[in-house]
Parts: sequence; structure tokens; C-alpha cells
Amino acid sequence: MSKSLALGRGFRVFPLRRETGDKPGVVTAWVLSVLLLLIWQGAAMFMPPYLLPSPAEVFPLIVELFSTRSFYYHSAMSLWHVAASITVAFAVSLVIAVLAHFQPVIRKAVYERLNLFLSSFSTIGWTFLAIMWFGLNEFTVIFAVAVTLTPFALSNLRTSLEELDSEAVEMAASFGRSRLRNLQLVILPLMVPYIFATLRICLGVAWKVVLTAELFGGASGLGYLVSRARANFEIPTLFAIFVVIVCFVYLTDKYVLDVIHRRLRKNYAALG
Amino acid sequence: MLPSDSQGTSRLSRFNLMQSVFAEGLIVVALVAWWLGSLVLPSYAFPGPGEVFLAMGRLLVDPDFAVHSFATASRILIAIVFAMLIGGGLAMLPRYVPEFGVFVNERVRPIMNSFPSIGWAILGSIWFGVSWTAVIFVQTAILIPFTMINISEGLREISSEEQEMARSFTRNKWRAFSLVIFPMLFPYLVTAVRISYGVAWKISLVAELFGARIGLGTLILQSQTNNRIDIVFAVCLMIVVFFILGEKLVLAPLARLYRAPQRI
Repeated sequence: MSKSLALGRGFRVFPLRRETGDKPGVVTAWVLSVLLLLIWQGAAMFMPPYLLPSPAEVFPLIVELFSTRSFYYHSAMSLWHVAASITVAFAVSLVIAVLAHFQPVIRKAVYERLNLFLSSFSTIGWTFLAIMWFGLNEFTVIFAVAVTLTPFALSNLRTSLEELDSEAVEMAASFGRSRLRNLQLVILPLMVPYIFATLRICLGVAWKVVLTAELFGGASGLGYLVSRARANFEIPTLFAIFVVIVCFVYLTDKYVLDVIHRRLRKNYAALG
Repeated sequence: MLPSDSQGTSRLSRFNLMQSVFAEGLIVVALVAWWLGSLVLPSYAFPGPGEVFLAMGRLLVDPDFAVHSFATASRILIAIVFAMLIGGGLAMLPRYVPEFGVFVNERVRPIMNSFPSIGWAILGSIWFGVSWTAVIFVQTAILIPFTMINISEGLREISSEEQEMARSFTRNKWRAFSLVIFPMLFPYLVTAVRISYGVAWKISLVAELFGARIGLGTLILQSQTNNRIDIVFAVCLMIVVFFILGEKLVLAPLARLYRAPQRI
């Protein structure tokens, strides 16, 4: 049933989009998406497959990828690399950000020295240094991705701590002097939406860089598969792997992270 | 001055002094830890600060390094300009043609955002070979989602009341855009440039690994292949210096040019 917002006589009546559930542009989006696929197919007909394989060549390869056991193994390894590096980067950043929050005297050291250095140090640099330090293994990949994610996590956690509801924090301080108790019972629960937003940002960046680290410094993961396909000049396979990664990241973001984000938004007004 | 004021001022200056002591102390501690680490570990794996600073000094007087740095810096600048134009254009499209909203925000943006940077780097080198076009294409593709997200956020913040006010003063869309929308969007454009600049130095150097013969990314790759970890370290630290110089000398003053828009 369509409801509308009436503003009195002589005013326009605005339909409430959320209640009617319609969304302009959905059809256009589908039409344009199909059109893009057709353009890709058309362009591929005029170009050699080593430059641009057609969707008709790539999609069967995706099905083939899913039928091989090694694909599941390498996908699981990439997921593990992403999860481990996010956990490390997040835990380290949370400890540093909370310390800097309670000890303002170290904030300049943390944000204007440590974070500035980490933000500007190249991911490729970390990857190559890690290869020389630790060799070609999982630890190299996790280290390179974690150290790339740390400044992103630190900056976001800093913002979340600065935007905490000061009245709630003050109230907590009036109930107890124990900082650890306040942190555990008030500050961390208040930070939940921001923590989630930080994890979401880290996840996006992690997928962007994990393949680079795996390609140069790992012996497993989707980056390793990319490296193998590139060495054998299997361009359609490269396209198939990229399509799978894009679909995986897109679907996870839309159907898992976005759903959690909306739930948190409902429960925590602070998320805005 | 009241006694309480002077007390407050001296407490503040003591706090600032302590903050600086901790900040600079962190650098000293890091340098000492680095030096101690280099005494324990072999120099081919962990060169000391002395060796690395020497390598930095050699790089600074080497004309080849100037060529590598100039190539990387100019590619980054060109890629940021392209990313701002394409990302900004895509972000603005749904504003003027709402029908494209779902396509841009729910198809183009997430796909661009989730495409791995190494994917762009490989595709760029396949399509354009070893060339400036390849590097600039890859860097632009990596930066576009970052500029899109920031400019979209900025556009979302501009309230309909302000737009309505602009429309009530003029029917000319370009005039309304240049005199009302653009000045309100400016801080977000600066943020988009700042983020792109950071990401360009940090992540998009990967473009130079496959698609370039000169550039700092290429230099890092060559040094790693030749097992010259001192040069890898030195180039990475030079990148940190270039990043900080650009941030302090260009981007920070640019960001100070505006004041946050006041809500009407």
C-alpha cells in the first residue's frame, strides 16, 4: 500500500519511498549491466583472446575453477590470510588507540609519528622486506597485509573513540574509577558500530592487497593461482579468478556486512 | 591575566612539551631498536640505520634516482587528476540523472572497489605493455573507487534546502553548481585528493612492477631481485619523505583553505 506525506493544501505530496519500497533505476541498472556484458562480448570478438577473452570463454572457466579441489584450497588460504591479518592489525590498533585515548600525552607520538610512518610506507616495500626477512610463506603474506591495514584501522578507531558519547563516558566514570571496567562495560560496547565499520574498511583493503602479497611472497592463496596463470599466460583463467574475487567480495559486502551494518544502525543510533 | 589563566597556560605548554618529548622520543627509540636489531641480524637481511641512510644519501645524488622519482611522482599526479575527473563524474551522475543511481552506486562502485589492485596491474600490462599509459591506467583504476566514495559522501551532505535556495536564485544549473554546490563540495574534494595521494604512494606503486621500466616501484623490484635490501629500505624511506613533504607542503595548506560549511 502506498502512503504519502501530506504537507497541507497547496503543497506537493511526496511519496515516502521507504514505505512504498520502489527504487528508481533498478531496471536501468540491470539493462546497463547486460549492455556492458554485451559490449565486453562484442569487443572480445575483435580482439585476440590473450588480450580480452570473451564472457563466453570466461564463464565456463569459472565453473571449471569451482570443480577443482585446489581452487577451494587456495580460496580458503586467501580467506585465512585476510582473516589473520585483519585480526592482528585490528587487535594491535585497538590496544594502541585505547592507550592513546586514555593517555593524551602519547597521542602525538601515535598519530603524528607512528601512524604517519605506517600510512606512507609502501605495501610493496613491506612485502619485499618480509620476503627477505621471513622467506616465501604464509607469515610473510599475513605480515605484509597486517602492516598495510594497521594505519587504516588506527585512524578509524581514533575517530570512533573521539566520537564516543561523552555523557555516557562521564556517567560511567561517575559509577566507577576502574578504567578497565569502564572500558569493558561502557566504552567497548559503545564502540561496537565503529568497530564493525573499521572491520568492513579493513576487509575491503585486505582483499585489494592480499593478492599482491600472495603473488610475490606466498606459496598458496588466490594470488598464487594468479601468479601461476600469469606465468603460463592463461589470460582467460586470470579473468575467471578476478571475476570470482569481485563476486565474492561484492556478495559478502552486500548480503553479510551490509545486513549486519543495518542491524547495528538500528540498535546503535550513534552510527548515524 | 588571571592567576588561573596563567596556571592553565603553563599546564597546557607543559602538556605540549611532554607530547613532543614522547613523539620525538618514539623516533629515537625506534632508531635505537633498529640499530640494536641490525647488530644481531645479518646485514643482508636487516641493514642498520647507518647503511640505509648512506644508501639514501647515494640515491639523493644519483641522477637516475631523480628520474625514477620524477616518473613516479608525475604518474601519481596524472592518475589523481584522472581519478578525480572520472570518479567525480561517476559520483555526480546519479545527482543529475537519478535513473543511473542504482547502476553507479550498486554496480560500478562495488565492482571497482572489490577489484584487486594486482588484477588491474596485470591487465594494464597485458593491454598497454610496458608504458606510461599502463601505469597511469592501473593507478587511475585503483584510485577511482576512493574518489567516488568521498565525492558521493560530500554530495550526500549537501542538503536539499541549500540546493533549493540556489535554484530559487538562478535557473542556470552551471551557475548554481559553480557558486553553491562546488564550494560546499570543496572540502570533500580535498579529502578525496588527500586519500588518493596516500593510496597512490602506498598501494598503487604495484602498477610499476609490471608496466614500467622506470619508477620507484621498478627500483624496489630491481633492488629486491639483486638482494640489495639496503636500497629497498632506502627507497621505501624516501617514499615516506616524499609523502610527508607533499602532505605538509601542498595538501595540508589546501585543506586549510576552507571552513566547514555552516548549515542554514
